[in-house]
Amino acid sequence: MTMKILHVLFIALLMGSMSFTTQAADSFAATDQVKVQLIASVDGVHSGDEILVGVQQLIIPHWHTYWKNSGDSGLPTTIDYELPKGATVSDILWPVPEHITLGPVTNYGYSHEVILLSKLKIPSDAVIGSAFAVKAKVKWLVCKEECIPQEADLQLDLPVLSAGVEGGHGSPLIANALAALPLDSPWQFSLHAKGEQLLLNAKGLAQRATFIKKIQFYPDEWGKVVHSAAQIQSVDGDSLQLQLKSGDAPLTQDAVLSGILAVTKETGNGSITRGYSVTVPLTAAPVSDSKDTAADLVLSSALLLALLGGLILNLMPCVFPVLSIKALSLIQHADKDPLHTRLHGWAYTAGIQLSFLLLGVLLIALKSGGAEIGWGFQFQSPLFVLLVAYLMFAVGLSLSGVFTIGGSIMGVGSNLANRSGYSGSFFTGVLASIVATPCTAPFMGAALGFALTQPPLIQIAVLQSLGFGLALPYLLLSHWPSLQRRLPKPGLWMERLKQGFAFPMYAASVWLVWVLAQQAGINAVAVALAGMVAIAFAAWLYEATKLSATTARFSGASVASVFLLVALLGGIVAINTLAATAQPDNVVSHDQHWEAYSAARLKELRAAGKPVFVNFTAAWCISCLVNEKVALSQQTVIDTFKNGGITYLKGDWTNRDAEITHILADFDRSGVPLYLFYPAGTAEKPVILPQILTPEIVTQTVSAIQAVAVINQ
Amino acid sequence: MSQKHFSSFIFASLLLVFATFSAQAEPVINQPAPLFSAATADGKTLNLADLHGKTVILEWTNHECPFVKKHYESGNIPNLQKQAAAQGVVWLQIISSAAGKQGFVDGETAKKVNAERGATPANTVFDPEGTIGKLYAATNTPQFFIINPEGVLLYKGAIDSIPSADQTDIAKAENYISEALVELAAGKSISKNTTKPYGCTVKYAS
Repeated sequence: MTMKILHVLFIALLMGSMSFTTQAADSFAATDQVKVQLIASVDGVHSGDEILVGVQQLIIPHWHTYWKNSGDSGLPTTIDYELPKGATVSDILWPVPEHITLGPVTNYGYSHEVILLSKLKIPSDAVIGSAFAVKAKVKWLVCKEECIPQEADLQLDLPVLSAGVEGGHGSPLIANALAALPLDSPWQFSLHAKGEQLLLNAKGLAQRATFIKKIQFYPDEWGKVVHSAAQIQSVDGDSLQLQLKSGDAPLTQDAVLSGILAVTKETGNGSITRGYSVTVPLTAAPVSDSKDTAADLVLSSALLLALLGGLILNLMPCVFPVLSIKALSLIQHADKDPLHTRLHGWAYTAGIQLSFLLLGVLLIALKSGGAEIGWGFQFQSPLFVLLVAYLMFAVGLSLSGVFTIGGSIMGVGSNLANRSGYSGSFFTGVLASIVATPCTAPFMGAALGFALTQPPLIQIAVLQSLGFGLALPYLLLSHWPSLQRRLPKPGLWMERLKQGFAFPMYAASVWLVWVLAQQAGINAVAVALAGMVAIAFAAWLYEATKLSATTARFSGASVASVFLLVALLGGIVAINTLAATAQPDNVVSHDQHWEAYSAARLKELRAAGKPVFVNFTAAWCISCLVNEKVALSQQTVIDTFKNGGITYLKGDWTNRDAEITHILADFDRSGVPLYLFYPAGTAEKPVILPQILTPEIVTQTVSAIQAVAVINQ
Repeated sequence: MSQKHFSSFIFASLLLVFATFSAQAEPVINQPAPLFSAATADGKTLNLADLHGKTVILEWTNHECPFVKKHYESGNIPNLQKQAAAQGVVWLQIISSAAGKQGFVDGETAKKVNAERGATPANTVFDPEGTIGKLYAATNTPQFFIINPEGVLLYKGAIDSIPSADQTDIAKAENYISEALVELAAGKSISKNTTKPYGCTVKYAS
């Protein structure tokens, strides 16, 4: 009897616990952040039916779960279905994700709500009257700043109905979920590689471009595309082109890029985003494919631009004195020996061309297998700044007459008249190449950007063209007696002018020391200035003892060398140490009318449809600073920005900044300045402004584009 | 300055000029790894350049991230750290969590946390400004970079092949770091040098 009671109790307990587990595996579950629910497209099933099942996640504000490609971090949600025998279920049909950024990190996922559907096939032998149990183990990662892995076991029992009995409408959420799935694309896609860029063309999409607010491509897989890179749009006929950046696991030829193209359109009441499936193989670009992007130059115009850039380099404040002095020396030669003069012109040209050839070869070597360049070559090197500052200072000293190199090295420094050594002219060319390089001159940006994506020979050709532009004025002068005759007659004024030209050189080194201060801090300034004192001392000692007796000359030269060595080595060691520890200081001036650039800020402003002017600059870029002074800081420009509601973002590239390097590369630039203007509202690509600005260029461009943008809306 | 010296000076300058032209936005495999110098848990300053001559593993970490916990609590990372130390590889934890964000710790706490979980990295580097993280484009914790004795980047990516926060997956996964250590010890190159990192987002000051 007692045994029987115990037995009954045991069974009751067993049943109790069983019913408890069934309750636990409900169709609902909730964590602090996410409510999940298992839903189906029907209330009851028939054998052989294909239905939809899915999991709805309701996510509290500021948190998100992830898409199948979670982006730079995170983890996609997974659903493991456990089904009665014979039933099959598809992978998740993922709805269009959102673009979520956190600092430099880009994620693809969902906030607020998402429904992850799958197709489910009921086996043909499902027993009528039984319950078809859909069990789902759902695992997800939910993140705000911090991340929490969570999971839930859900179960939904669907009665198996006899044929002819209505299956019912199921969950009303299913219809919404279907509406959020990507559609088949009505446009024809093609994909070509260009350097590090992948150009995704959607033929036909551009016709509707005026209604489009935003276009975003979401790659299905990690590594094909850099998630955080800006996707630059451009229009070519009826094709819309998106410029994507190739990622860590780049596509090979004919490999397929798949993903979703999300198109956000402006409608009467708010904007609507629709996703379209993209599946496109990477193919070679068609030959006739000439693009309209500013940097996408054909070779001939790249060469021409490089030549122009080289010409303009002659007017750079540091280069000009070097060249003027060289030009003045012609006056002396002019009447005497035209051949001699011409040969000097060619020696000078050779110096420049050889320097640029060397640059080209180094560039290719660095690009093809930089490992052998080794440890320590850093971007925007303060060391380079220091060495050029020293060089400028030494040239200045030489111009001032503190020292003259007895031989023939610096055509600039020594007596102008009796320059017989062609090596003097040659090294003047080399010197001109060096002092010209710190800043990207106008027109050089696009040409160099083009060069960097081209095969080696074209790279060299563009650089040679640039060098030839730099050499051209002097070369012409040396060949054209009539030009030479226009030069003023020699005299004492030449000596005075030469001394006068020392001051731009000193000013240039002051500027470089200022750049150094930004890069490596105040102590670097002390190091640089001390180094200059040592150089000055060495120069003076060298000059003072140059004409003395052998012993004095020898010891003078030795002491001078020691000082020079101390200046160079001490500077190098100190700057390397200082630069490594320097912290960039963000001093904000009280009347600042700009904001610091960040990709996130730009994205935010663009998402809000606000017009944005972006200035990428660097302390060592002279044309950047000049543009800021004469154009961007002028009251008319400030007023135009203010009245147009335009946010002015400034990106500082003085030190290495990966984010900005990214953006520059997106516009095929290898350096600053770069000025972009994003007009209000539309999703069009930004307008690239010229590299020389005047207040009028800025205000007129901005007003004209704003006007067009308004009409298009 | 003799003409020859002047020429070599010019050559050196040109090299430097070109270093600026060829700069990469993120670290690239088989290219020099970016240098940095930063404060460490032992109160000193570590300069990556000083480790020239040694293989270095950089591990981005955040002790409160569930993915990091997975690999510490299971003993996976502590074991890798011992394996690395045994073959003379310098293991550096890097914490790029900004002040006040998850994973941000001071030196004492960092040492304590490591002691508690049996972790034996060579050092812990603090990067609250996110400078080093952005230099390496680190997005996840955990995330790994391996640098050879010449300072060249050999590996970037995940710890293993199964992205999950579940400890039971560790045994099933292909452990990329362990494989890399074995390959390096055998003088081979790393067969999988770029993998998809997974984990929590690095808590940068945004």
